[in-house]
Amino acid sequence: MYSELLHALPDVFALTNFAAVVIGVIAGIVVGAMPGLSATMAISVLVPFTFGLEPLVALGLMAGIYNGAMYGGAIPAVLLRIPGTPAAVATTFDGYPMAQKGEGGFALQVAVVSSAFGGIASAFALMLLAPPLSRVTLLFGPSEVFWVAVFGLASIIFLLGGNPVKGLISACFGVFVSVIGSDPIYGNDRFTFGQLEMLDGINIVILLVGLYALPPVMDLLETPLKTDGVNASKLGTVSIWKALPRMNYWKTWLRGSFIGIWIGILPGAGGSMAAFMSYNEARRTSKTPETWGEGEPEGVAAAEVANNADTASALIPALTLGIPGTAVAAVMLGGLLVHGLQPGPMLFRDNPDIVFGFMWQFLFGAILLILLGGSLATNSFARLLNLPRPLLGSVIIVLMLIGVYSIHGRMFDVYLMLGFGVIGWLMDRLKFPLPPVVLGLILGGFAEENLRLALRIGRGDPMILFQNVTSLVLVALTVAVIVGPTLKKRYVDSRRTA
Amino acid sequence: MLNIFKKTAIVGTMCIAAGAALAQDYPAKPIEVIVGYSAGGGTDVMARTAAPFIEKYLGDGASLVVKNMPGASGQIGVTEAANAAPDGYTLGTFNLPGMMARTIDRKADYDRDSFTYLANVVNDPNVIVTSKKSGLDTIEKLLEEAKANPGAITVGMSSLGGDDHFALIKLQNATETEFTIVPFKGSAPARTALLGGHVAMGILNISEVAEFQDQLNVLGVATRERSEFAPDLPTFQEQGLDLVNGSLRGFIAPAGLPEDVQAKLIDAFTQLKDDQEFLDAMAATANPVEIVTGDDFKQLTSELYDLASGVWETSPWN
Amino acid sequence: MSESRNSRLRRPETLTALGIILVAAGFLIPTSNLRAISALLPAAMLIGLIVLSVVLLLADQRTASAGEKAAPVTKAPKRVIGAFLLIVGYALATDFIGFYVSTTVTIPLVAWVFGYRSPLGLLIATVIVVGTIWAIFDFGMSQDFPTGRLWGG
Repeated sequence: MYSELLHALPDVFALTNFAAVVIGVIAGIVVGAMPGLSATMAISVLVPFTFGLEPLVALGLMAGIYNGAMYGGAIPAVLLRIPGTPAAVATTFDGYPMAQKGEGGFALQVAVVSSAFGGIASAFALMLLAPPLSRVTLLFGPSEVFWVAVFGLASIIFLLGGNPVKGLISACFGVFVSVIGSDPIYGNDRFTFGQLEMLDGINIVILLVGLYALPPVMDLLETPLKTDGVNASKLGTVSIWKALPRMNYWKTWLRGSFIGIWIGILPGAGGSMAAFMSYNEARRTSKTPETWGEGEPEGVAAAEVANNADTASALIPALTLGIPGTAVAAVMLGGLLVHGLQPGPMLFRDNPDIVFGFMWQFLFGAILLILLGGSLATNSFARLLNLPRPLLGSVIIVLMLIGVYSIHGRMFDVYLMLGFGVIGWLMDRLKFPLPPVVLGLILGGFAEENLRLALRIGRGDPMILFQNVTSLVLVALTVAVIVGPTLKKRYVDSRRTA
Repeated sequence: MLNIFKKTAIVGTMCIAAGAALAQDYPAKPIEVIVGYSAGGGTDVMARTAAPFIEKYLGDGASLVVKNMPGASGQIGVTEAANAAPDGYTLGTFNLPGMMARTIDRKADYDRDSFTYLANVVNDPNVIVTSKKSGLDTIEKLLEEAKANPGAITVGMSSLGGDDHFALIKLQNATETEFTIVPFKGSAPARTALLGGHVAMGILNISEVAEFQDQLNVLGVATRERSEFAPDLPTFQEQGLDLVNGSLRGFIAPAGLPEDVQAKLIDAFTQLKDDQEFLDAMAATANPVEIVTGDDFKQLTSELYDLASGVWETSPWN
Repeated sequence: MSESRNSRLRRPETLTALGIILVAAGFLIPTSNLRAISALLPAAMLIGLIVLSVVLLLADQRTASAGEKAAPVTKAPKRVIGAFLLIVGYALATDFIGFYVSTTVTIPLVAWVFGYRSPLGLLIATVIVVGTIWAIFDFGMSQDFPTGRLWGG
């Protein structure tokens, strides 16, 4: 296998194939940075187009876009508090406060280096460990995946914000939205009101754009002459060479990479869950958890390393088993099929040069991020903030419409997004936290589906959920996440009083 | 009143005239093919792979443009195709038994008379596979176990109301057995659960298991003759079990297509049968070809509708 | 002296809580047509929303009776409603008249209405944005945007 890896290398450096990766990374950063446009959308627009391209050109573009977009999403997350892609939600937690403090430039450099670190780690996992990791995926049947989802949902308790009642309302809302569409088992509709467009459920991008992009746009228009916000003169641009020595996040990077790779090889959850979990874990183990959420660079590092660490690893189950680990990987799988590359154990044997070449492209895509990401972000995108606020607002409105329309090519989604926009604006103003909605939407229906599959397999007996070691470990982890912090606090308190 | 009749008559003649003009130089502009799934899905790949060959046989610089209208497991796209103008410039892909089953289990704005049936192109037969862990490596062992412990065998499949489901119903009826259905969202997760041994048995399609023959026990193929796609796999009929079922993908146009346009299109599809280059391209994208055109295709659709509604009456799935 | 009864009911959080209760209760009705297992999770979430909203409402009323005034949701309601209506109008125009026409009008219109009035700047911005979108999506990727239902497209 390793000799095949080396054998595939020269093709990757063929001019057109390498250019495809470079163009892909740049395009990905741009797409990710545009509020409303996501990696999923960019790659689905690209797939029909790749029919006429050489496999490694097409795949190189996709690998580049995926890596670029996962970082690009951080740019508006830091500068405008609008996550450019679903996976960048956790980046807003500390990235935006940093920008408000005049450290936006440093935040972007942290994001770029962390993203590249995660991407490189993930690419190595894909290149060196794909077969053993795909066996790990097989350990996760419906009952185990259900516990993974519950574990993810448990982390909502860290995202509730100042008012737990409001946080729980947000979470319930998110989970409720996740059940809209056809029932996962029987296929009958739930709350679709006869709209065929809603049968497949509410796409995360529609909700995200409505909830996260519309409120800031309204802010831009509501107070057009506000001058105390973030702008480029306060960006605090730093060159990457000056920023690098300030980054000592090895532990967070390694942990975030591990979490990202692990979430990636599990089908269904994807980058946003990886970023949330990495963020929570890094904060939990931090010596100064109180600074998190107020502009802690390590928070940006934790979120960004994890959302790039699941890119290549999400392709492990996609290539070996045909089950994509993320929504983007699902679209990429279509791009592979277009070129006659059918997932499965034979893929590596039948088309080694293409498959291993594709893996190299992931690695180079991640490395290129460092070279392209930092300068592109600080030199061009940050300047967009110099635009007059009403103009910036109107341009973002257009991007929102394009991004949402292009997912399925229909206006229905745009109207749906505007509906969520109203809800998002009210939630923003009344200080309801938004992250629980996102996690609830991603994991709610996912947990339900797997629970019901597991119960069917167990023929109604709930004991199926506790029948093997993997499940029990996950249950223990979940309990530790929920109970851990309270126990720790009690311990600390009791020592203080003693 | 008379005036209206007159107008209708005039418009009618004009339509006929237009139709005639249309057929002579059809196609005079690009033909849109509506695919009810996202780009890169099995049906989309079939449409895009077939498109250049259909262009070739239509001749005159014909061009086919694939338009994806994903959603509601293909229903949005097929409804759009059913309600398009029947001028030959809008075609659609058609999946069986799904498209017919949707008219039964859901409200649908089309029925089996809404289409001009052009050609079925792909027939992906069902296969029964078992997990290596289950130890049920022959069809006899499987049926024996199913009879001994009704409902004890869990069957992973891609959804209820699809070809996998109907194949299982046929199996249960033919052998008087009972299984527990576990409907995953799509065949890849079902196959993964089988590989991991989380379900004992699976009903999938041959194209979905061809790459995984070493990791799963493939017990048989639900065809009359051995599939060219995997000729080493035995059929059920060879093993004394009458089970023939599969997932079909083809092309339709809205009902009421001018006859000569219809003839021209069907002729183009018929020629695909013997085009080796086409067959190779389809095999490379996991699409086992079986071309059935015109009235035979319509007949096939009707049969599958009757099958689905029969199943629905005895055991509705939602 | 606390606020009058009427104004206490018009506090934003109270109104939101009442709204959530009403909508959630409305969504509960269709759950009765579902199989028990299908209805379980949605019904649990809806009931959760109702219970939590009641808690929110009570808490808000308690702060009200303590004499605290609620902060208004926006200081410029007209601008907010105007902005939202413009966005909705843009979506409708895209749907019925067509994407490129609507976008070419909307970018300068929204920016102008909300205070950016430099004609040259508006022109340049519009040309750059619409041109880039056309070049990438239409020309490069042959993506179709709505051409307008009014014209039968």
